[in-house]
Amino acid sequence: MLNRTKLLSGLLIWYGLLWTVLAISPHDRQDWLLENLLALAAVGTLLLTYRRFQFSTPSYLLITAFLSLHAVGAHYTYAEVPFGFWLQQLLGLSRNPFDRLVHFAYGWLLVYPLRELLIRLAGVGTFWSYYLPVSGMLAQSGLFEIVEAIVAQVVSAELGTAYLGTQGDEWDAQKDMMAAFSGALLTMTLVIVMKGKAVSLRK
Amino acid sequence: MLIGLLLWYVGLSLWTAYEPADRQFWLLSSILPGALVLILVGTHRSMPLSQASYLLITLFLTLHTIGVHYTYAQVPAGAWFEQALPLGRNHYDRVVHFCFGFMLTYPIEELFRLTASLRGWLLYYLPVMTVLGLSGLWEIIESWVARVVHPELGMTYLGSQGDVWDAQKDMAAALYGSLFCMLLLLLWRKRRTGTSRPQPDSLADSTS
Repeated sequence: MLNRTKLLSGLLIWYGLLWTVLAISPHDRQDWLLENLLALAAVGTLLLTYRRFQFSTPSYLLITAFLSLHAVGAHYTYAEVPFGFWLQQLLGLSRNPFDRLVHFAYGWLLVYPLRELLIRLAGVGTFWSYYLPVSGMLAQSGLFEIVEAIVAQVVSAELGTAYLGTQGDEWDAQKDMMAAFSGALLTMTLVIVMKGKAVSLRK
Repeated sequence: MLIGLLLWYVGLSLWTAYEPADRQFWLLSSILPGALVLILVGTHRSMPLSQASYLLITLFLTLHTIGVHYTYAQVPAGAWFEQALPLGRNHYDRVVHFCFGFMLTYPIEELFRLTASLRGWLLYYLPVMTVLGLSGLWEIIESWVARVVHPELGMTYLGSQGDVWDAQKDMAAALYGSLFCMLLLLLWRKRRTGTSRPQPDSLADSTS
């Protein structure tokens, strides 16, 4: 089995390199900065709290995967990610789906670390340890949409639209939240199924 | 007192069920409250909440029932406010969103305290997050209903009243209500006991 410390340093180096490469001439420097405020705060928090609270290795992997996706989105400004255009053509969509995909990934990848946090920090039990993480992801997703709306209204309309990425869809906020919600539900279902398997194996 | 609350709610429901402004909307919006009341009645022996919680829930359901009877955008009290202050829209639904956060956060906090054995600041943080999560879920359901039932009306249907930021403002209202409730609870507990921890013997925290 791979050494945990090595793996974690590897993740950090990977993210550092990726971030640096994507920080070079992003599509829209202001939007890039705006998108990265929260991401950098998250990385900073993880590094600073590492001594006091350590996530499991799978959690760190999931978090890094999400942050990598977000770094790509921030570099190109979400609505103009090449991979999204490619997907749009392939599936015949009317919009670039990359941001929706990352919203889904947000719920899908981060609900597991959140569950770990709640179980270990708060000691939440059986039923709540499945319900609360999903609810938490949905809530954070809603909070994010609120913050987005405020930013879009305060900051210049042009940058606001780039940051918001509604791409002219009036139901964009609800669809984004739905994406995060279904991602979280999917992971939770997997966790429940795997737990069941593990229990039956032990028997 | 619980029987009184139940009678009040059932009576009010019957009264508002008589000739609502929009029968279809009334039916759709009454499913969730009906389920909630049934659950509360069913669990009131195995999982009794405090009287304060039941009172808050009834208050919220009352506001909701009135909103449903008139269809939210046309509640007379809201229309009166709209005239008294130059608001440009009927704000009754926004007020009820705020009340959703303000009145239902305490019952949720109580539920967590009793069943999830939460401690410390999480007992204040998680109920707020839960309310915000439910609020987001509500907005998602609302947008589905709007698209399925009245696709031609788009954003003018239901609560949005033509505002593209309506969903965000509604969620923010619930969040503020929830935060406000938690702040009051925190202050009340600090003043009463000198600590932010719930005391098993204090009135509003007692469950038996």
